[in-house]
Amino acid sequence: MPKNITIFTTNTCAYCVMVKKWLGSKDLSYEEVNLDTNPERQKESFEMSGQMTVPVTIVTKTDDSREVIVGYNLAKLAPAVS
Amino acid sequence: MSTTDTPIVYGAEWCGYCNSLRTFLDSLHVSYDYRNVDDKGIEAEMLAKTDGKYLIPTFQSGDTVTQNPDQEKVKEILGMSADTLAEKKETHDVIIVGAGPAALASAIYTTREDIETVLFEKGVIGGLAAITDWVDNYPGFPEGLAGLDLSEGLRKQAERFGADIRLGEVLGIEKSEDLIKLSTTDGDMYAKAVLIATGSDYKRLGIPGEDTYYGRGVHFCATCDGAFYRDKRLVVVGGGNSAVQEAIFLTRFATKIDLLVRSDKMRASEILQHELDKHAEKITVHYNTTTDEIVGENNSVVKVIGTNTKTNKHVTFETDGVFIFIGLKPNTVFLKKSNVKLDDIGMVTTDNELETSMKGVFAAGDVRNGATMQIASATGEGATAALMMRKYLEDLERTTSL
Repeated sequence: MPKNITIFTTNTCAYCVMVKKWLGSKDLSYEEVNLDTNPERQKESFEMSGQMTVPVTIVTKTDDSREVIVGYNLAKLAPAVS
Repeated sequence: MSTTDTPIVYGAEWCGYCNSLRTFLDSLHVSYDYRNVDDKGIEAEMLAKTDGKYLIPTFQSGDTVTQNPDQEKVKEILGMSADTLAEKKETHDVIIVGAGPAALASAIYTTREDIETVLFEKGVIGGLAAITDWVDNYPGFPEGLAGLDLSEGLRKQAERFGADIRLGEVLGIEKSEDLIKLSTTDGDMYAKAVLIATGSDYKRLGIPGEDTYYGRGVHFCATCDGAFYRDKRLVVVGGGNSAVQEAIFLTRFATKIDLLVRSDKMRASEILQHELDKHAEKITVHYNTTTDEIVGENNSVVKVIGTNTKTNKHVTFETDGVFIFIGLKPNTVFLKKSNVKLDDIGMVTTDNELETSMKGVFAAGDVRNGATMQIASATGEGATAALMMRKYLEDLERTTSL
């Protein structure tokens, strides 16, 4: 189980809905950072992912290592949160 | 099977072989009782059956007790020949490939008539409609509505009647006697009838820089990535409804947008073009302009180079990002090796009843040859396909019961 999960989202992004829905189906809680309401945190999302897109999901594991998943990508999300 | 005949697995949470056995039984769709030897009294119960020998997993079926059996042994004990295993295969009345508007509309109709229905979606529930900012022409919504809200509404309505939407991908399709066999990321599955409603996806330009800067300056989803261009300059490529609609959406963020249209006029609807005129302050339309290269510096996009086809001269547009909406390509790669006939651009061909060249397999929405790429048409076709599948299932039942 990961230590914590943060998702960067926007109001209009359907893929963000999918990531949240999927995490919810696995009973995983997460912190959501909405870049429409917190535009000042865009830089943070970009620096971590290297991409100008959402969703960006940051999974922090118990050993404090981090995994950054860009987009709705179950092939990467599933192993990252296991 | 009475409860006394239900096989029993004695195991523990920490025991890998026990978990493997349970996974294997699940894959055979065999129901069993799991008894955890760490729970009070269970170890003693097990030892009474194994002459005091402690080894897990211990597997009991009827009078036969075996310890740490391999898969062949398990099948033998359960009396499963290849034939009986085949009977255990996961079979559904209808499997719908995709969960966009056509798929969800169809599922509303099938499930409401008690036709058991499973949908497979590899991307977003709601499909391209879900990532469309605003849908102005879907009947019944006088003010228009957000694509995301329309998708959510369709999903909830389908789930209310019992549609089972699974997040996974269908990889192949073939006929298997009266059934249709689908290979999926969840394993093989069978259906009496199948609806292909995989829709389409945005096409790429295939020009230098497009792949290099994908996600870092080159985008195909304005509702996802537009917010990164607050107070920036943008290029939007395309002259159809999507390009115009999304360019207008992007004016929320960008200060200046160059819209590059290849031909001398737009394909977008009149009403959208009028809407576009209202944004002339921010959006400049460049007709007869091809998009040839996306150029970056220090890992970000700085300009787009195109050609004015009237003067045959290069034109350069300084920009921070590019959004591309140049049309759609059908999502039919998974059908290439199947017997489902496609037309020369990869769309699924059907007859008047929306049935494809493979009996029992139907198609609806953007993926179907002749589609008009409208959400209203997709939901309409989805409903039609549901009624055609119902008729097919009734005929199938009649012939198999003869």
